Amino acid sequence: MHGKDVVLDGMSITYPNGFTAVHATDLTIAAGEFFSILGPSGCGKTTILRAVSGFLEPSVGRVLIGAEDQAGRGPNLRPTALIFQNLALFPLMRVWENVAFGLEAQGVPRRVRRERAMELLDLVALSVEAEKKPMELSGGQRQRVAVARALAVEPAVLLLDEPLSALDLKLRSHMRAELRAIQKKTGVTFIYITHDQGEALTMSDRIAVMNAGRIEQVGTGDEIYSRPVTAFVASFVGESNVFRGRVAEVADGVARVATPEGAFRGQNLTGLALGDLAMVFVRPEHVRISHPDTPFANEVAAEVMRRELEGPFVNIFLAAGALEIALQMPNEGDAGRDLTGHVTAGFAAEYTLVLPEGELARTGTEIAAG
Amino acid sequence: MKALLASYGRGLVTAFVAAVVIWACLLIVFPQLTMLDRALRLPRRALDSSVVATVIRDSATCVTVLKTYRDAPEAPETPDSSGGLASPSMGVMAVPGIAGATLPYILQCDRASTESRFVRDPDAEPETLASLHGLPVLKVDPAVSIAEQIAQAEAVADIARPLLAQLIAKEASAVPYTLDNFGFIFAARAIPMSPQTKAREDAEIVNMAFDLVGLRFEKDGVTHVRLTLVTLVRTIFFAMMATLLAVFVCYPVAFNLALASTQRKATLLLLGLVIPYAIVELMRVYAWVSLIETRGLINTLLHWVAIIDIDAGEAIQFKRSPITVFIVIVYTYILFMVFPMVNVMSTLDRNQLEAARDLGASSMRIHRRIVIPHAKPGIAVGCITTFMLAAGAFSVPRIISTGLQAEWFSQTIYNKFFESENSNIGAAYSFAFTILCFVIVGLFMWVMRARLKDFVR
Repeated sequence: MHGKDVVLDGMSITYPNGFTAVHATDLTIAAGEFFSILGPSGCGKTTILRAVSGFLEPSVGRVLIGAEDQAGRGPNLRPTALIFQNLALFPLMRVWENVAFGLEAQGVPRRVRRERAMELLDLVALSVEAEKKPMELSGGQRQRVAVARALAVEPAVLLLDEPLSALDLKLRSHMRAELRAIQKKTGVTFIYITHDQGEALTMSDRIAVMNAGRIEQVGTGDEIYSRPVTAFVASFVGESNVFRGRVAEVADGVARVATPEGAFRGQNLTGLALGDLAMVFVRPEHVRISHPDTPFANEVAAEVMRRELEGPFVNIFLAAGALEIALQMPNEGDAGRDLTGHVTAGFAAEYTLVLPEGELARTGTEIAAG
Repeated sequence: MKALLASYGRGLVTAFVAAVVIWACLLIVFPQLTMLDRALRLPRRALDSSVVATVIRDSATCVTVLKTYRDAPEAPETPDSSGGLASPSMGVMAVPGIAGATLPYILQCDRASTESRFVRDPDAEPETLASLHGLPVLKVDPAVSIAEQIAQAEAVADIARPLLAQLIAKEASAVPYTLDNFGFIFAARAIPMSPQTKAREDAEIVNMAFDLVGLRFEKDGVTHVRLTLVTLVRTIFFAMMATLLAVFVCYPVAFNLALASTQRKATLLLLGLVIPYAIVELMRVYAWVSLIETRGLINTLLHWVAIIDIDAGEAIQFKRSPITVFIVIVYTYILFMVFPMVNVMSTLDRNQLEAARDLGASSMRIHRRIVIPHAKPGIAVGCITTFMLAAGAFSVPRIISTGLQAEWFSQTIYNKFFESENSNIGAAYSFAFTILCFVIVGLFMWVMRARLKDFVR
């Protein structure tokens, strides 16, 4: 087994009812890459997946797999395999029959395909359960059957549509590692669809963040997290404190933004010019309680509202006028327990990002509900 | 039961259970038991006592009729007094002659005899009243005088009367049940044929098959056919064919409705299926008659485009073809096949179809391995319903074939019940038919490996 690269060449998809689910998109996914598409529900990520697997034809543009145009090829003719959100295992077949179904469709003799199925079940450590029906397995085991079933047809590209969303937290993190290991072992290109940034960040070589039918940024997990290029990416991946204002000064890749809460300096990676509407982003873990002896480049006067203990770290919420500022500190012995009253929050310019004004992601709870 | 009590309370549960029990007794157990009881009893006219009673009645009528001739020899102008039973020829009676010399033929006097036959096994030697009960052979001799005839008739009645009482007592104490009625299903009838016809009939495949399984056989050089059994076998076979046809017609419809349509299309399709069922069944069937008649829509159209010439007798005889009956049955009962299929199919996760396709399976394989195994309980329910409806169909074969085809078994039963007053045999037929259908359904379920619990999922 070896992966193939996937190229979306100016691809856009418009549904018959006129809704454009994916706007013109150029994307290159390297062979053997673990690539995640991250975005809130309804952002078009599943549509991309269906276009790659062949259940949808692009309205405009092309899908190329291993440099071959896939136009007119149905899902049964493409070198892809899809793992569904609900896994879609065949409940009336035994586990090994499930795994061997793709081979059965190719006309492989029963004995051979059984052998092959057992090998794959070995790979996912399930050969003991071969004779059971899928419903007799646990959620994680079913997950692995779905992976084995998809790998049985030796796909060049494996497409995964939020396959872990039905699992509980502990199993999910275990399966992340397992999926990553399988991907490494087989060398197959994985395209992984998720709305869970944790999954995307932990497993992926690269991530594309999507919003409203457009890919906003493609990059490694570090790039996406530390150097987001749009307001949406900055707010969707991880938590951020946001200040709105206008660029008051630009120099050497640093911009100063005047906001109602004060003037803040930050990295100007997108080349904003003087007078542009801007948003200032800073992660809670980069916000500190400022001390008069060691002042920060950016400081804001605030009042302590409440403290939340997360375990390894502590969240402190401050009020700066109408704005809430979140602050995260490592829990080194009752951190921040005595914090009350008026304080000054500070953050360094190098950890502060100045991005063009744009749409922010809705809060996490809304995304999960959607 | 406990759960029922807890959620609905004692009163409601009692009422519910009572309703179910009453319903089961009134509509299932009681009618079936009545039917079985009737099926196991011989028809009244087959009882010995009723033969004897008839002889007594005939003797009495004979005496009454003879007396009218004796008392009014001059002008026997009251032939009505004989109840219209006495004479086939009024002309003879109109001529007053010497009493006894010009008496007309009197049926009852002819039958007032101790040589009346009993209904017995048709193969056995016929028995008479005299031979069976050791009575002297007595009868009314029309050659002797009226007075002597009256005496003879009375003698017959006198000798029969104690026998009647005896027989009634005997029959009352005996177990009245017998399987003889069921035997009529297997009864064979001799079919006289010219040698040419016989040769032609023998060469027919259907008849060869009948020969093979004993539905048709030769006895004393005459062809015998077990007509009732043939009808039964034909009906079951045709009902199976109609069911099979319904499966083939309904499966694609159900699949489209349940899995391959948008909501809007499915709604329209469903509407198209349901609307014909808002029409009374007879209307639905008669609508077909207007299509398939000799001068119906189809033949007229074909005539009009000059493919056939109705006037030259080229009209297609749809009414003679069993296929027409299949098609109308399928049309009439299609919903009973489609709905269970749709119900089950709509519970199939469409992702499974996509997963199978994604793994490279052809449409055929997807149906064979995914859809059909999933829909099996629905298909089984549809088959059972359609088979039972088709096998018991009455109006469709009757209206469509209008007697131009061999009848269906339901018609045979109907005829036994209501046309020839053979309700005991009719009961036996219908009971046997029910049992046979049950067995077939059971076998079918076993073959389909469909368990009852699959039907309720």
